[in-house]
Amino acid sequence: MIRSDGQPVSLFEYQQQGGYSALEKALQSSPSDITELVKDAQLQGRGGAGFLTGVKWGFVPMGEQAPTTKYLIVNADEMEPGTFKDRLLLEGNPHQMLEGIIISAYAIQAPKSYIFLRWAYKSSANRLLTAIQEATDAGYIGKDILNSGFDLEIALHTSVGRYMCGEETGLLSALEGGRAIPRAKPPFPQISGLFGKPSIVNNVETLCCVPHIVEKGAEWFKGLSIGDGGGTKLYGASGKVNTPGIYELPLGTPLREILEEHAGGMKNGYRFRAALPGGASTDFLTEEHMDVKMDFKSVSACGSRLGTGTIIVMDNHTCPVGFVHNLEHFFAQESCGWCTPCREGLPWVERILKSIELGEGQDGDLDVLREHTSGLGPGMTFCALAPGAMAPLKSALNYFEDDFQSHIREKKCPFREN
Amino acid sequence: MKTPQAYINSRPFTITSSSETVLDFLQHHFGDTVVPTLCKAPNLEPIGSCRLCTVKVKNPNDKDFRMVAACHTPVTPECEIVTHSPDLKALRRHIMELILTDHPLDCIICEANGQCELQDTAAEIGINAVRYAPGKDHHHYPQDLSHPFMRSDMAKCINCYRCIEVCDQIQGDFVLNMAGRGMDSRVIKSLDSSFENSQCIACGACAQTCPTAAISDVFKFKEAAAIDQVATVCTYCGVGCNLEVSVGVDGVLSIGAPWGSEVNPGHTCLKGRYAFGFYNHRDRLRDPMIKRNGTLKPVGWEEVYQFITAKLSAIKETYGPHAVAGISSSRCTNEENYLMQKFMRAVIGTNNIDGCARLCHAPTAIGMQRTFGTGAATNSIKELELTDCILVIGANPTEAHPVTGAKIKQQAFKGKTLVVIDPRTTEMARLADYHLQLRPGTNVAVLNMMMHFIIKNNWADQEFIKERCEGYQLFKEKVLAVDVDFLSAISGVPKELASSAAKVYAQSDASMCFHGLGVTEHAQGTDAVCLIADLAMITGNIGRPGVGVNPLRGQNNVQGSADMGVQPNQGPGYLKMEDPGVRNYYQEHYGVPVPDDQGLTIPEMLDEALAGRLKALWIIGEHVLQTEPNIEKVKKALQNLDLLIVQELFPTETALQAHVVLPGASFLEKSGTFTNGERRVQRVNKVVEPIGNAKSDGQIITDIMQEMGYDQEDYDHKKVLAEITQVVPFFEGITWENLGVNGKQWPVNSDGSDTKILHTETFKIGKGRLIFKPFRESPELQKHAKKYPFILTTNRALEHYNCGTMTQRTELNELMEEDILLINPSDAAKRNMFDGELVTITSARASTQIRLQIDRSVNPGVLSTTFHFPEVLINKLSGDVYDPDSYCPEYKVIAVNINKFS
Repeated sequence: MIRSDGQPVSLFEYQQQGGYSALEKALQSSPSDITELVKDAQLQGRGGAGFLTGVKWGFVPMGEQAPTTKYLIVNADEMEPGTFKDRLLLEGNPHQMLEGIIISAYAIQAPKSYIFLRWAYKSSANRLLTAIQEATDAGYIGKDILNSGFDLEIALHTSVGRYMCGEETGLLSALEGGRAIPRAKPPFPQISGLFGKPSIVNNVETLCCVPHIVEKGAEWFKGLSIGDGGGTKLYGASGKVNTPGIYELPLGTPLREILEEHAGGMKNGYRFRAALPGGASTDFLTEEHMDVKMDFKSVSACGSRLGTGTIIVMDNHTCPVGFVHNLEHFFAQESCGWCTPCREGLPWVERILKSIELGEGQDGDLDVLREHTSGLGPGMTFCALAPGAMAPLKSALNYFEDDFQSHIREKKCPFREN
Repeated sequence: MKTPQAYINSRPFTITSSSETVLDFLQHHFGDTVVPTLCKAPNLEPIGSCRLCTVKVKNPNDKDFRMVAACHTPVTPECEIVTHSPDLKALRRHIMELILTDHPLDCIICEANGQCELQDTAAEIGINAVRYAPGKDHHHYPQDLSHPFMRSDMAKCINCYRCIEVCDQIQGDFVLNMAGRGMDSRVIKSLDSSFENSQCIACGACAQTCPTAAISDVFKFKEAAAIDQVATVCTYCGVGCNLEVSVGVDGVLSIGAPWGSEVNPGHTCLKGRYAFGFYNHRDRLRDPMIKRNGTLKPVGWEEVYQFITAKLSAIKETYGPHAVAGISSSRCTNEENYLMQKFMRAVIGTNNIDGCARLCHAPTAIGMQRTFGTGAATNSIKELELTDCILVIGANPTEAHPVTGAKIKQQAFKGKTLVVIDPRTTEMARLADYHLQLRPGTNVAVLNMMMHFIIKNNWADQEFIKERCEGYQLFKEKVLAVDVDFLSAISGVPKELASSAAKVYAQSDASMCFHGLGVTEHAQGTDAVCLIADLAMITGNIGRPGVGVNPLRGQNNVQGSADMGVQPNQGPGYLKMEDPGVRNYYQEHYGVPVPDDQGLTIPEMLDEALAGRLKALWIIGEHVLQTEPNIEKVKKALQNLDLLIVQELFPTETALQAHVVLPGASFLEKSGTFTNGERRVQRVNKVVEPIGNAKSDGQIITDIMQEMGYDQEDYDHKKVLAEITQVVPFFEGITWENLGVNGKQWPVNSDGSDTKILHTETFKIGKGRLIFKPFRESPELQKHAKKYPFILTTNRALEHYNCGTMTQRTELNELMEEDILLINPSDAAKRNMFDGELVTITSARASTQIRLQIDRSVNPGVLSTTFHFPEVLINKLSGDVYDPDSYCPEYKVIAVNINKFS
């Protein structure tokens, strides 16, 4: 539920639409029942990895022997280029997420929750603070919530703004007051996370699904999807499409339908050339993939990832080399500097791409770039930042090698005027 | 159960520990160089930043091999590991190339050339050039030459994070950090300042761990000019750090800490690592000297020996052997201390032998002997890892025992409960869960309060008390009868706080107590030690891992000097001289009768000298004119002697008073053994020859023994050690050879096995004795508090060592150049005194001028300072109050007044 005037849904409006009734229902079930329900609903993490949320919760130690301090952390550090889906949820209906937080915290029996918010989301911050106050006053947050005996505090933490903070463990380091540096797994955060205590980090969109699952059941949620996994998904579209924006559609809606029906197709004079299906750190999909179902499994089968599901369209007037250079510039800047390949490799990749784009490319540059796509690939670096950075480059070298070659051959960018 | 195994390059090997990483597993079977790595240092947790140790691993459930960093991947039973393959080689070359793109390739002029891990690893991987054209790099970063010891040249930094990790995980000072991100990340000090302006305490661990020369020191630790490396033991505090001394043609080049040391793997403090410059300082005494017509003149050894022999013999002849006394030194080796006490007892024939333990831990030895039967640390420092609660009483280990202090800090960071009883808010107190900031001189009151709450609330370990202790009934009655309101009022420690601290100490699974001179240097020093022992016993914190009573011994060999019999009442091995059987035992070994007199302690020697009954005093390595209390009195006592022999490294005020000065050898110039605070006997190895005509102290004592007609074998430290093992029961199984690199903790059994934990089954005296001691106000305060309303308490600073004869002859003076008096802001305000102002403090004895620092670490009414500098000479002020049991002076409570300097 989102208002059309851009204002947030108030507590009253939210309650009118049945808001917080899922919470009442959840507090009457056992925590493990909630976890099972979310598992059955096949809710996949909406932050990009698509891991089953219920399964993730299931790793948290429960029962008498478990630590009493646990944390539910909301990853609202939406910094993936081209991604703006969480912002809509945060600004439009903060209570929906708060309800999701309270239910989820109850499921893992966490007495404390942090919302880790991107620093630039100023209006989200204001609206969240208002909503937290409203929910606290209404007895949804605090001691003995709705007479259930369950206590929960929710605190808003505004990030200082680093892409690394979006990485689960980098976020934990930042939340502890340190540099946003990733941590080795194991131990996984579910066992030893924030301040060494069991912690769950969930994406905003994921948590927003939770009240609806509790309210309407796992089967209903699964039934919303037309692909692998349950529920609907917020798909985004940006680039030279007629109506860029966010669209809530059944999970598994084909790429073609999203772009042509909902995003209104390409603008006049522009042709679709390729798209990044889920933010900057995913591999390109091209014309041949237009009918892929946009769910985690199907997109992976095409050699890319669903990621955040916010599609960046590249048209025929955009230079792929320049496009990728722009992305790599971002990644090189946002590398935390912890591990060698990412710290030293990304700047060199960026430099080579820049020189190619400026017409200063040399023979052998593509070999060096390819060497990086494997040297900075999955498993080679401490966290997923560099492998993510290599995804668009690797697929661009695959699909658009001719464009790279022509830059080097002609000693200029063919997309530029002179 | 089948032993778990995994495959390395298709061959099976046993997994030894469930917590092993792939890298541990590989290194365990194939050595440290099995795969290259740059970010892993031996004493650090793996961090996985360099990625060079990447290997291929296939777990039983995996379809394919995965590339993983070996250092932070747990090894799974039955997994297959490939360490070398063409793709791994390509990957490692790629990583190394990336590192080298941002590293100046000027090896030939770099101090680390030949000792550089980056260079070695690059060679191993087979790369010597990079393909990338020059571009953005960090070669322009300036060098940091600001600090007396530390150096940095961050252009050479490869961002491996080792320095940052070592500063966090080992030293625990969090000075180094990374600023910027991505390629702009760079190591900074504090908030991006120079070493000098940062919070760095110059432990040098970062310089040692740096794989290149990005962080180094003025001694260029890694420079390959060393012709030899000698392992030895530090001469400063009782931690007993192992040192690795690099020697060049002109002497000592630099000092490092061996990675393989049990005491201090890869770590030591700024004194151990950098303050060695005293050894060849121009002030070193190079020749023996005899005072003639009021001036000391260099003479030859023969002449000085004859002079001493003639004088001593004459005094002995005229006044009897008890007119002669000796003060041996805890800075000297066990062998030398053994010989000195043997000289006094077997050659002179008196028990007038004492050492500086009198001024520090004599109360510990006596108190722990009375309660446990053995006056030494019950446990080992390494057990800090096993304890749950750490109680630090009257000790400031981050300044005075820096390596142990750092280890305690690390445990506090890990969430172990830390209780600190100290009148000052020390660094340790700031980290403590409970800080009992008592008024100086009230340890006994606070300990009684704690035990009162433990017994009253049934937190005591009744089983342990019943099985292992005696005297509980009486003890309990007396403890329950104390007036806690009075004790709380006099000590300034709230009852609730004392109760909470007592509860956590009593109820933790394992509680470990450390105490220092803040316990012993009091009128009730021995009493307080007894109570600490009581506290451990009634809570069952004795005789198992991670517990015990652990005195932090002050000097490198203060444990050893006491072990060797440097005290009037006990001979080597703490056998009581009053016992005729013991005297027979020593007679058998020495071949002559040994004396049965009571002997004199140091304060008694001075009193006797003042009274004219003591005629000759031989002092080894002790600057009594700065370290004894009431210095004016000491001076008069020394002037009253017929013969004062001072054996020293430097012309101290004490040496200048002497009739005869003998140039001894520093720790770098001799071999032998030191015993650290955890009873660990470690080998000291000669690094360089003694300077000038100086001789090792053992050699000098032996020469004089022979000169005086005693049949002592020519000096050889190994032979003396062998003799000691015959005499001292708990040295039985020690040989020079079997001490190895990490030494042995006594008692050492005949089979060579040593002892980490004392009193595991029984105490040496059978059952532990619970001894109650009531609180008594210090006579100093009773007498002088009215006129002198402030309590001055003395302590130590990290940068200097005791009277500073050694450290003030090093660059440490650039870090701390004077004693500073700490005063609470409210007291300063009342007297209109300002930070940095020179003030006069006056006691009933004397007054001195000192600079003021306004500081909340002391409570109102309490002043605190160090006693390192002869210019201030704080011990002019200290008084004549002694702990009656041990004769340890009360340095920690001095009634003073403070006035503006005019």
